[in-house]
Amino acid sequence: METDVLIIGGGPAGLNAAFEPASNGMNVTIIDESFSFGGQLRSQTQYFDHLPRPFNRERGTNLSRKLIDRLLPFDVDFLPQHTFVGKYKDGTIGVSHKNEVIPINAKKVIIATGAAEEAIMFPGWTLPGVMTIGAAQILMNRDRVMPGKDAIIVGSNEFAFDVVQQLKDVGANVHGIVESDSQMRLQNSQKIEAFKNLGIPLYVNASITEAQGKGKVEKVFLGRNGEKINLDVDLICIAGGLMSILEPFEIMDCKLVYNQALGGWIPEYDKHFETSNQSTYVAGNAAGITSIGGILTTGELTGVSVMASLGVLKSEEAAERKRDLWHQLYQIEGIQRPDTYHARLAAIKDFNTSKDRTLTK
Amino acid sequence: MQIINHPVLEDTVNDEITFHLDGKSFKAYKGQTVAAALMANDIKKFGHSRKLQKSRGLYCANGRCCNCFMTIDGLDHVLACMTLVEDNMRISLNNSDPDIRSDRDGN
Repeated sequence: METDVLIIGGGPAGLNAAFEPASNGMNVTIIDESFSFGGQLRSQTQYFDHLPRPFNRERGTNLSRKLIDRLLPFDVDFLPQHTFVGKYKDGTIGVSHKNEVIPINAKKVIIATGAAEEAIMFPGWTLPGVMTIGAAQILMNRDRVMPGKDAIIVGSNEFAFDVVQQLKDVGANVHGIVESDSQMRLQNSQKIEAFKNLGIPLYVNASITEAQGKGKVEKVFLGRNGEKINLDVDLICIAGGLMSILEPFEIMDCKLVYNQALGGWIPEYDKHFETSNQSTYVAGNAAGITSIGGILTTGELTGVSVMASLGVLKSEEAAERKRDLWHQLYQIEGIQRPDTYHARLAAIKDFNTSKDRTLTK
Repeated sequence: MQIINHPVLEDTVNDEITFHLDGKSFKAYKGQTVAAALMANDIKKFGHSRKLQKSRGLYCANGRCCNCFMTIDGLDHVLACMTLVEDNMRISLNNSDPDIRSDRDGN
């Protein structure tokens, strides 16, 4: 199989990366290991603000639909249940689908595999009924199944609070939010206010000492400053934050670097989002954990970069588009998540310095 | 438990299907994963671990953690969270190592 641009990962970053090349007449192939496209947005009924043009404040579920629909008029092949499993010696990409492996020859590859949820471990954390906060959201909003009736949440980031609201909306009882830090991690004042109105206890300086139950969670024990609290719950949701998914970059021989502010290990990349492997680009949370606005903008930037490197865009036009998109990234990520934005700039600078050093050797 | 009237999303009319877990029949809706179909029927334990004999169930729902392996239509070690449930699907709990050298696998 031949394609101009192969995009690995059909979430918001991959879908948005596809738009510019596809709408300019290139053939784009998007693969995803799931049975449908949209990534986590498929399950996110919360509203998202600070989106890049042409999008406005929107529920994740609707945004997901729009990102897919606007690709439909173009030459885009959507391949669900296709998993990137390896690279042949000549650079051909190997993709598995059911019981076959399909070789794909692509001029450029964009990796937009997003992020995975970090675990928070405690005795009993492997019991059925303990799941990531994202898993609870998938059950409720994609599969329309109650993840449990009586829940407790570990971790207090913004995502946790979004899902707490959604758990309440489907009729689950949320018995508390457990945070090991001295204050909640959520910073959005509007959402803090909304949370206070729910009357759910927030246990700070606290952690789960054990989850117990026969074949499934039935009880949870919390410890807070030597005080012990036990609660009857059937659902424990872990909100441990996100880390970039790296296996695809390892397969593509992309150099990795550790960057705390961007969520841990990430691939190295330059201002065009090109990795140390010149055929491979990165977009979205895989390039460092960011907001949905950052995910969409880095996706678009990557799409423009790929077009420029293949000569589909003239170099002056490409330079202007990229300047525009970097300005947009500054306006969205730079203001909403300044630490992320500055860490990203510093990481790009470091990568350029190391590239220069290699060239002069 | 199924969420019939979702507080935010539009109502959808998906076909009801029947699947079998170790010989017992259950109902679910088309479009749901095997993992979700089981959770909807209050089945949370999908198997147990070999070494420590601990119960295992749905954890990440994204095909990454490999906690939800089950035997589906005769195929061992299939991710229940990434597989859509189908009418008459036969599912077994993942309680032992798959016999990779059996005749069935051509070995």
